[in-house]
Amino acid sequence: MNGISKNYKLLRIRLCTLYSLVFFTASLLVTCRSGDKTGLVICWNDNRATGLVIPERYVVSIAPNSLSRLLSVRRQGVETAIAGQFQRSDEGMLFEPLVPFTRGLVYELWLRNKRLSEIEIPALADSDRPFLKGIYPSADTLPENLLKVYLQFSRPMREGQSLRYVTLLKNGTDTLSGTFLDLQPELWDADRTMLTLWLDPGRIKRNLHPNQQLGAPLQAGTTYRLVVSGEWPDAQGATLGKTLSKTFVTDARDGVSPDPMQWSMNHPPPGTSQPLVITFPEPLDYSLLLETFRIRREDSTLVSGTWRTSFDEEKIVFSSAKPWLAGNYTLRIESRLEDLAGNNLNRPFDRDITQNKSDTTFQVYKEKRFQIR
Amino acid sequence: MKKLYAVLALGVAGLSLLATTTRPVANQYGMVVGTPAIKSINALTFGPDGILFIGDGKNAAVFAVDTKDANSVEKASPVEVKNIDEKIAALLGTDVKNITIQDIAVNPKSKNVYCAVQSSDGTPVLLKVEGDKLTPVSLKEVPFSTVTLANAPAEDAKGSRGESLRIASISDMGFSDGKVMVTGLSNQEFGSTFRSIPFPFTNTQDQASLEIYHAAHAKYETMSPIRTFTTTEIKGKKYLLASYTCTPLVLFPLDELKAGKHVKGRTVAEMGSGNSPLDMVILKKGNESFLLMANSNRPVFKVKYKSLEDYQGALTTPVTESFATAGVDFVSLPVTNVIQLDKLDDSRMVLLQRRSNGSLDLWTSSERYL
Repeated sequence: MNGISKNYKLLRIRLCTLYSLVFFTASLLVTCRSGDKTGLVICWNDNRATGLVIPERYVVSIAPNSLSRLLSVRRQGVETAIAGQFQRSDEGMLFEPLVPFTRGLVYELWLRNKRLSEIEIPALADSDRPFLKGIYPSADTLPENLLKVYLQFSRPMREGQSLRYVTLLKNGTDTLSGTFLDLQPELWDADRTMLTLWLDPGRIKRNLHPNQQLGAPLQAGTTYRLVVSGEWPDAQGATLGKTLSKTFVTDARDGVSPDPMQWSMNHPPPGTSQPLVITFPEPLDYSLLLETFRIRREDSTLVSGTWRTSFDEEKIVFSSAKPWLAGNYTLRIESRLEDLAGNNLNRPFDRDITQNKSDTTFQVYKEKRFQIR
Repeated sequence: MKKLYAVLALGVAGLSLLATTTRPVANQYGMVVGTPAIKSINALTFGPDGILFIGDGKNAAVFAVDTKDANSVEKASPVEVKNIDEKIAALLGTDVKNITIQDIAVNPKSKNVYCAVQSSDGTPVLLKVEGDKLTPVSLKEVPFSTVTLANAPAEDAKGSRGESLRIASISDMGFSDGKVMVTGLSNQEFGSTFRSIPFPFTNTQDQASLEIYHAAHAKYETMSPIRTFTTTEIKGKKYLLASYTCTPLVLFPLDELKAGKHVKGRTVAEMGSGNSPLDMVILKKGNESFLLMANSNRPVFKVKYKSLEDYQGALTTPVTESFATAGVDFVSLPVTNVIQLDKLDDSRMVLLQRRSNGSLDLWTSSERYL
């Protein structure tokens, strides 16, 4: 019996420690800060106003089971009650709206038809803005049949707006329209910081209707400026502030698949952690470069390490996690790797399908062998 | 000692009770109660008994959620919500510019309209439209199941490079004959994926590559992404009717869409380029059926179903005239700027339309449009 009681105490202590840890971690993630003298407290989660704590004094006279029916949070000047959930917390009544409160807007607390209080969700500081971290491809000379552009932002951006904020200028004067494919939903990554834009493939592929009517989006020997407007808002409504652009010149159409046999590579000495650098005769696709390479030893074990692009995506650099061992290695490249014009290792982007040659040469990956000695 | 046995017996009984009450019990569709971690709602479609399929591009997954909205309604009441965007913004406590309506879907059983909304910070919201009222649908503690959309085969899944740069999007989703059908696009390869996923979800999903004939191109083409699709029956045979970015309308026999299979479609109409199809439904008036299609840069098209059935050929000659059309005939309805549409009942559809006065309205069509 004593044994059971001891175990029970031990279990309680462990549970208490666990609960304290959970509470501590949760309190790190969600913080509630008092807005002003109204006593309403805004809860912040990841810089978003995700809740409002209503002090007891506002709700003390209401029967607990009718609170959520009688109490409402509304936008200033709007009659509709905001959808969300009321629940008791240690500090008072917590209201969590379905979507976070919008910065810069004023919200009111109502009991039946009586306005009790109001609070403004502070707007972001003027200096608290997102920025454009990168535009890929990085090179400033690009093929006239360029297929994709990647925009990398510092923090989550507002979706569904890209065609309003990205423009392409030809020779510094003409604003081109219909250059990018209007995709809804847009191709944002899960944290909404990287956007992929396609130059309209229907205009790039020769003889397709859009190509015949509107011509190719880009022409060789021309200077273009890709402009990303400073008006573009992020997920919280802060704009980029600064309009940024990338100027590039187009050269001839690229209709040839990248050929791994034409790539060169260095040979790091065994026992060192020198990076392995693979150099291509042309820049390759930023997103695919980082995903399609693997190195295996002769016994098929994967060499672990990190890959990064370099020299305007004309090189890829592999830093091995451990010093190189002497021996035979295989570099395996997934055939879906593309160059800037969408030509992958198996087929050019704009192929003559009537020839039907490509199916016979289809391979999931290609290999290149090398030695460390 | 007896006391100890009694305590132990009580403990065991308590534990077994706890186990039976907390163990998730799967319903007939293999769903267990929980809170699905939905990151985005790109597409909605209904399955049997009020089961709602939610296409989540950010998770590259489809969630099946039991809405418990399964009361059969024979005669649907029309919905009409004027300035729906303003009403949604008020309900969510924000400005109209901060919300986007992603999709609408009608529950074929209860005839209730559901609407997926995304707030500017990315939070997805599901709303139910009843008459002119909007109510949030809670996705907390609901019976659900999920299936991850298989990516293109990677040579090995485990890398040491952190998060993938691959982005998936879901362009349209449908349910027919026990299967959820999903079309999508990735940022890494320009090509259409068509997936057919049996429901209740299992570990299997078929991924077929579809080939269409571009009348303008005068060539076969596998790369174009499907924008919208529906399923239909022509002369007793089931088909996938898909529309692509440059608006060809293509029929694929459904029984041929199997894993790894390469299926050639039959292009039955070129509905003019410079336009993207947005949504399509099939409606009926008397004995006659019609295909209705909303477009980005054209009015709503109406195609007599009989002409689709009768058109046994395939467009194999180029369309030469700019913005011209070919194949089956269609008429343009005097309804423009329709962003979404879904079938309410046999003869009516629900439309989300930006009216000429700028207001965004959800309304119900009448037989007059057929």
